[in-house]
Amino acid sequence: MADKSLSLSELNGCVRDAIQQALPETYWLRAETSDVRRNRNGHCYLEFIEKNAITDSIIAKARGVIWSNVYEMLSQYFEKETGQQFTTGLNVLVRVSIEFHELYGYSLTVVDIDPTFTLGEIARNRQLVINRLEQEGVLTLNKELILPEITNRIAVISSPTAAGYEDFMHQLNKNRSGFKFYAKLFPAIMQGDRSEASIIAALERIFVNSEHFDAVAIIRGGGASADLNCFDSYLLANNIAQFPLPVISGIGHERDVTVTDIVSHTRAKTPTAVAEFIIEHMSVTATELIDLQDRIISVSESVILKEKNDLLLASKEVVHGAKMLLQREFATVDKYSSTMKHQIKQSLQSHYHHLENREQYINMVSPDNILKRGYTLTLKGGAFVTSVDDLKVGDKIETRFKDGSSESEITKL
Amino acid sequence: MEEIDIKKMNYTQAKNELEQIVTAIESGKLDIDALTSSVKRASELISFCKQKLTKTDKELQKILDDIE
Repeated sequence: MADKSLSLSELNGCVRDAIQQALPETYWLRAETSDVRRNRNGHCYLEFIEKNAITDSIIAKARGVIWSNVYEMLSQYFEKETGQQFTTGLNVLVRVSIEFHELYGYSLTVVDIDPTFTLGEIARNRQLVINRLEQEGVLTLNKELILPEITNRIAVISSPTAAGYEDFMHQLNKNRSGFKFYAKLFPAIMQGDRSEASIIAALERIFVNSEHFDAVAIIRGGGASADLNCFDSYLLANNIAQFPLPVISGIGHERDVTVTDIVSHTRAKTPTAVAEFIIEHMSVTATELIDLQDRIISVSESVILKEKNDLLLASKEVVHGAKMLLQREFATVDKYSSTMKHQIKQSLQSHYHHLENREQYINMVSPDNILKRGYTLTLKGGAFVTSVDDLKVGDKIETRFKDGSSESEITKL
Repeated sequence: MEEIDIKKMNYTQAKNELEQIVTAIESGKLDIDALTSSVKRASELISFCKQKLTKTDKELQKILDDIE
C-alpha cells in the first residue's frame, strides 16, 4: 500500500496535471469580486464569489490573482471604461486561466476583463434597486420635500479630509452675496465596504437633530474614478429617500448617476456644484425679497406722484376758478361801468339839451335880442317906463337901442 | 392687519406679511397715511428678512456647535 501511496505534493501535482489537461484554455468567467487587495509588489489578490440570487448566500468561491503587469493595464482600462475602480463588490466578466499549485491550491489567474459587462451589471443592479424603491413607494419621497426658502443650515456628510469637503466649504463661505451659511460636518467613510453603514449612521445622527437643519449634503470629491458601489446600495437609497430633510448629492462623478443621486432631492455633480446650488437657492430667495422691495418703492413712488399731480391739478383748478370768477366779476363791473357811463352821458346830454333850450329861450327873450329886432327900451331916471301914464310933458327919457341910447324930452302926450 | 412683533417671526411669516402689504399697496386702495405706515412696516420686514440671509445668528451657531 505504501508503495502505491503518494506524497501530498505528488498528489497535488497529479491534480495540477489533471486540471491542466482538462481545462487547458482560458475561460470567460462571470463572478462578483470580493476582498480585492493589492500587495506591495503590485499583484492583485481577490476572491471571486457567486451568490444565490434569492437568498444572497455564497454558493461558489475561488481565489483569484491578477499579476501586477496585467493589473496595471486592466485596471486602467476598466476604470476608463466604467468610471469605476476595480474593487470589491463588482460583477465582472474576466478571462481566466485555471491554475492549481501544489502549495497554494486552486486559483484563477485573470488575463483579460470586459468592462461593458460590469457597466451592464451596475446598470441592471441600479435598475433593480430603483424598481424596488418604486414598488415600496419611497423612490420620490425626498424629491417631494420642499427646500425651505432660507436653506442655510446644512448638515454635511463627507470624509473630513476630502478635498471635495474643502471645496464645498470654501465655495459656500466665500459666496459673493455675503449669505450666511451654517455647515455642520457629520464625518463618514465615503469609500469601500464600510461606507454604506457609515453614511447611514451619519444620516441617523442628523435625523436626531433634524430640526436644526434645512438640508443634507452628501459629498464625496476628488479622483478620476471612484468606488461608487455604496451609492447604489438599496439600504442607503432607502434611508435617503425617506429622510425628512431634502438631501443634495454631490458624489463627484461626472458620468454615472447613482441610485443615491436618483433618490436625492437634488443631484449636483460635484461638492462645489452642491455649494453653488445652495447659494443659488438663497439668491432666488434674496431676489424675491428685492423684487418685493422694488414693487413697494415703485408703487409708493407712483402713488406719491399721483397725489402730487392731484394736488397740483387741484391747485391749478383753484387758481383757474378764481381767475374765472374774477374775470366774470370784472366783466360785470365793466358792464356796469360802461352802462353807467352811458347813462351819465345821456343824462348829461339831456341836461345839456335842456340848458341849451333854456339858453335859446333866454336868448330869445333877452332884452338884447329884443333890441336887435328893433324894439327899444324907455327908461326914466334909470327905471323902465312900461306905461305912458308914468310920463308927463317935459320928462326927460332915455331910449336904449341895441347899439346905444339917446335922450329925449317929452313934448306931447 | 394686526402687527406681530417682527422679532418673533420666522422668515416665511415675515415674507408672507410683506407680500400681503405689497398686494395691498398695489391695489391702490390705501390712502397716503395708510400707505406711509404700510411702507414703514414693509421696510422693517425687509430689513429683518435681509438680516436672516446675511447676519450670523450666534445662538444658532452655538446650537450647531454643540451637536454631536
